[in-house]
Amino acid sequence: MDIERIREFVDLMIELDLAELQIEQHGVSLRIRRPEPHVIATAAPLSPGAVVSAPAAEPVDAVDGVATDHGGAHLIRSPMVGTLYLAPEAGAEPFVQVGDRIKEGQTLCIVEAMKLMNEITSDVAGELVSVLHENAQPVEYGQDLFAVLPD
Amino acid sequence: MIDSVLVANRGEIALRVIWACRELGISPVAVYSEADRDSLHVKFADEDICIGPGAAADSYLNIASVIAAAEALKVDAIHPGYGFLSENAHFAEVCESCGFKFIGPSADHIRRMGDKVEAKQLMRKAGLPMLPGSDGPVDGVDVAHEVAEQIGYPVLLKAAAGGGGRGMRIVLRPEDLPVAFQTASREAEAAFGSGEMYMEKYLARPRHVEVQLLGDTHGNLVHLGERECSVQRKYQKIVEETPSAALGREQRDGILADAIRGAAAIDYVSAGTMEFLVDGDGNHYFMEMNTRIQVEHPITEAVTLVDLVKEQIRVAAGLPIQYAQDEIEFRGHSIECRINAEDPWALTPCPGQITAFNVPKGPGVRVDTAAHEDYYVSPFYDSMIAKVIVHGRDRAEALARMRRCLELMIVEGIKTNIPLLQRVLDHPGFVAGDYDTHLVDEILPGAGPQI
Repeated sequence: MDIERIREFVDLMIELDLAELQIEQHGVSLRIRRPEPHVIATAAPLSPGAVVSAPAAEPVDAVDGVATDHGGAHLIRSPMVGTLYLAPEAGAEPFVQVGDRIKEGQTLCIVEAMKLMNEITSDVAGELVSVLHENAQPVEYGQDLFAVLPD
Repeated sequence: MIDSVLVANRGEIALRVIWACRELGISPVAVYSEADRDSLHVKFADEDICIGPGAAADSYLNIASVIAAAEALKVDAIHPGYGFLSENAHFAEVCESCGFKFIGPSADHIRRMGDKVEAKQLMRKAGLPMLPGSDGPVDGVDVAHEVAEQIGYPVLLKAAAGGGGRGMRIVLRPEDLPVAFQTASREAEAAFGSGEMYMEKYLARPRHVEVQLLGDTHGNLVHLGERECSVQRKYQKIVEETPSAALGREQRDGILADAIRGAAAIDYVSAGTMEFLVDGDGNHYFMEMNTRIQVEHPITEAVTLVDLVKEQIRVAAGLPIQYAQDEIEFRGHSIECRINAEDPWALTPCPGQITAFNVPKGPGVRVDTAAHEDYYVSPFYDSMIAKVIVHGRDRAEALARMRRCLELMIVEGIKTNIPLLQRVLDHPGFVAGDYDTHLVDEILPGAGPQI
């Protein structure tokens, strides 16, 4: 992945007003983040010459500035180190999905550490606008997990 | 097989472990508190994970967070550095039971030698010379009086679970004993969770000489020479050197043999240091054992050319020590000065932003530091910001080299103890190699052992 390719991706991000782009190609992983986030897009794996496109559900909401603009939303951060699980168990429905109404104290996810499952709850009521981390991935202290638009 | 190591520490020792990992082809993983987000040890690791807010209790001392980080990043081993969890037997146990190799001795070694009373009993049984003292804990003021009469005043009350001078009181006369006992015990309870005290004869002007040891899981055990650490301010070492001018040839052989004997008696594994007090006649007495890599390990590395941290990692991987005792040679003289962010005379810590930073360089110079220009010295952690180590063909050259280095160690924006260190290096007693633990007190009254 050379600098010219990276420049092309950046131009594409500006054109499509993407906030973040994550690509894996030929064993190389690249993540590009723009300072004024609007939409989060992930595409992997990428075949050579293909064009990156954002998942269909996101762009319209982003342009309307409702849900995924972090500027207006309340960020829920991990209070501990561990592994993030978005569902109560493998194969089950996730605790919450984008668009859900969230109550204060509602369980949003589990962070597992040392074989102990810790439920992470929301400290606000509102609408879930973003899931900011991936299932079964390590999270660190202070890591952004969810964005909730408070009532 | 160790492919990755989580460095459960920060600052210069975290970097030190990272350097050793790099040379061994092992992937280093950093953990950091929010206060250390921009630290060099984070930048130079392969992966990093934030484990908590600035306060050490919530981050570097938080066993659950460190283990969770190790699990999340699937490391093979954990190096605890020094301080923090390095002598926490419970942590060593948790590491092993969670499937991570703890780079250090066993939890049992840590526990037994960490209890100062038990350590003395073990070493007495092994035949090491001991200071006259209570043969175990002193349960209360009445027993304390009896033991003190037996030993003879002045006596030293020490916390069984202690270190760094806390929970310690010198008692000159019987009438001072009750208050000293009670305050020391209370201090120890608060600092270490146990108010258990023991007593030993107080040596008026001892020298502190320690021996570096290295053991492996194949039954090999070697020493890497001694270090003199008598230059202490408030019981904290600030200048160390090797070899020690306190010992004649025979005395040196004796202390090294005793250190080996003591470590062999407990089948010690990994790096460790046996500490002795040496009196005016050159007699040595066992004091305690530190079951970890120590701050001053670089001076030993300079004269022996043995990389102690790499050896620790290799031993943890089940490999034998690379050197037999007769293959370890001692060449030249090495001195270390610890640079602390503190007022050199008031000894108060001085956190703040470093605005200019120049480390000395050139032949025979090594500087271990995580500080740099624009580095913020945080109030959350101890005040040591750098170690300057010199190596010379002989003591005279090492002294001249260290004086040059202290002049060129430029740190602006905060205060440092460099002026105090310079006074030490110019003190006639130090220059002659004829000094003891009261040296700093002669330069800075009140900073030495308090009578």
